[in-house]
Amino acid sequence: MGRPVKGAGRITRLALLTAIALTIFLAEAQIPAFTTVPGVKLGLANIVTVYVMFAMGPGDALLVLSARVFLGAVFSGQMMTLLYSAAGGLLSWCVLCLLGRLLTERQIWLASPVAAIFHNIGQLLAAAAVLRSWSVLAWLPYLVIAGVLAGLFTGIAAQALLRRLERIQK
Amino acid sequence: MKTRVILFLLLAAVAASAAVLLFQGPKARAPVARITRDGVLLEEIDLDRVAEPRSFTLEDGSGTNTVQVERGRIRVSAADCPDQVCVKQGWISGGAVPIICLPHRLTIEIVDGGGDLDGAAG
Repeated sequence: MGRPVKGAGRITRLALLTAIALTIFLAEAQIPAFTTVPGVKLGLANIVTVYVMFAMGPGDALLVLSARVFLGAVFSGQMMTLLYSAAGGLLSWCVLCLLGRLLTERQIWLASPVAAIFHNIGQLLAAAAVLRSWSVLAWLPYLVIAGVLAGLFTGIAAQALLRRLERIQK
Repeated sequence: MKTRVILFLLLAAVAASAAVLLFQGPKARAPVARITRDGVLLEEIDLDRVAEPRSFTLEDGSGTNTVQVERGRIRVSAADCPDQVCVKQGWISGGAVPIICLPHRLTIEIVDGGGDLDGAAG
C-alpha cells in the first residue's frame, strides 16, 4: 500500500477524494432508475471509498464516506435519504474494515460486493425501524442480487485504480 | 483459496435470493390488503369483495397518499412525497413485495385472508 501521508498533504488528498466521490455520486443520481425497487444502483462513488480504505486506512475512509454521504444528501435535496445512506454506509464500513485485515492486496475487488450487501442490509434495517414493520425485507433478495453485481463492478474498478495510482506515487 | 470461499459465499447469497424470488409461492387465494402506518393498522380491505372501484386519501402530518382499490388489486395513485416510489410501483395484487412509502411511513401489504374470512362470512 501507499506510504502514509500526513499533515497538509493528507488533508488535501482527503478533500480531493471527497470532491471526486461527491461528483461521481451526483452524476450517478442523474441516471434514471431502471427498477421500482429503491436502492438498486451502481454506487460508483464507492470506488473512492474502497480506494481510500485500502490506500489510506479505515479512519480516512470513514471521513471521506461520511462527508460524501452528508453533502450528497444536501446537494441532491433529499435529506430524508440521509438516515438510510448513513446506516448502510456505517455497516458497510465496518465490514470493509474486517475484510481489510483478511484480504491481500490482490483480493481487494472481493471486498466491494460483500460491503454492498451489508450496505443494503443496513439501509433496510433503518427503513424497518422507521416503518416499525419488517415488510421492507421483501426488497432484500432484489438488493442482494443487485448489490453483488454492482459491487463486483465497483470492486474491480477500485482494484484497477489502486494498482495504477500506486505506480504514480512512486 | 480465500478468494474462492468469498466468491462461493457471494454466489450462495445470490442463489438464495433468486430462489426466494422465483418460489414465492402461489398468489393469495383471498387477497386482503392491510394498510399500516408506524406499524399500526389503518385499514383492512378484502380485495375480492371490492364491488366498485374507489379511492381514498390517507393523511397525516408528513403528507398524503391517495389509495385506489379495484376488485383484486390496489395501488397508490398519488402521493406528495418527493421520491414517488409508492406511486411508480403501480398495482399490486399479491406476491411478496408490498407497497412502501418511506417518507410517510406507510405500508400496504397483501396477506392471504384464506379460510378465516370465508368462515366468518358464513
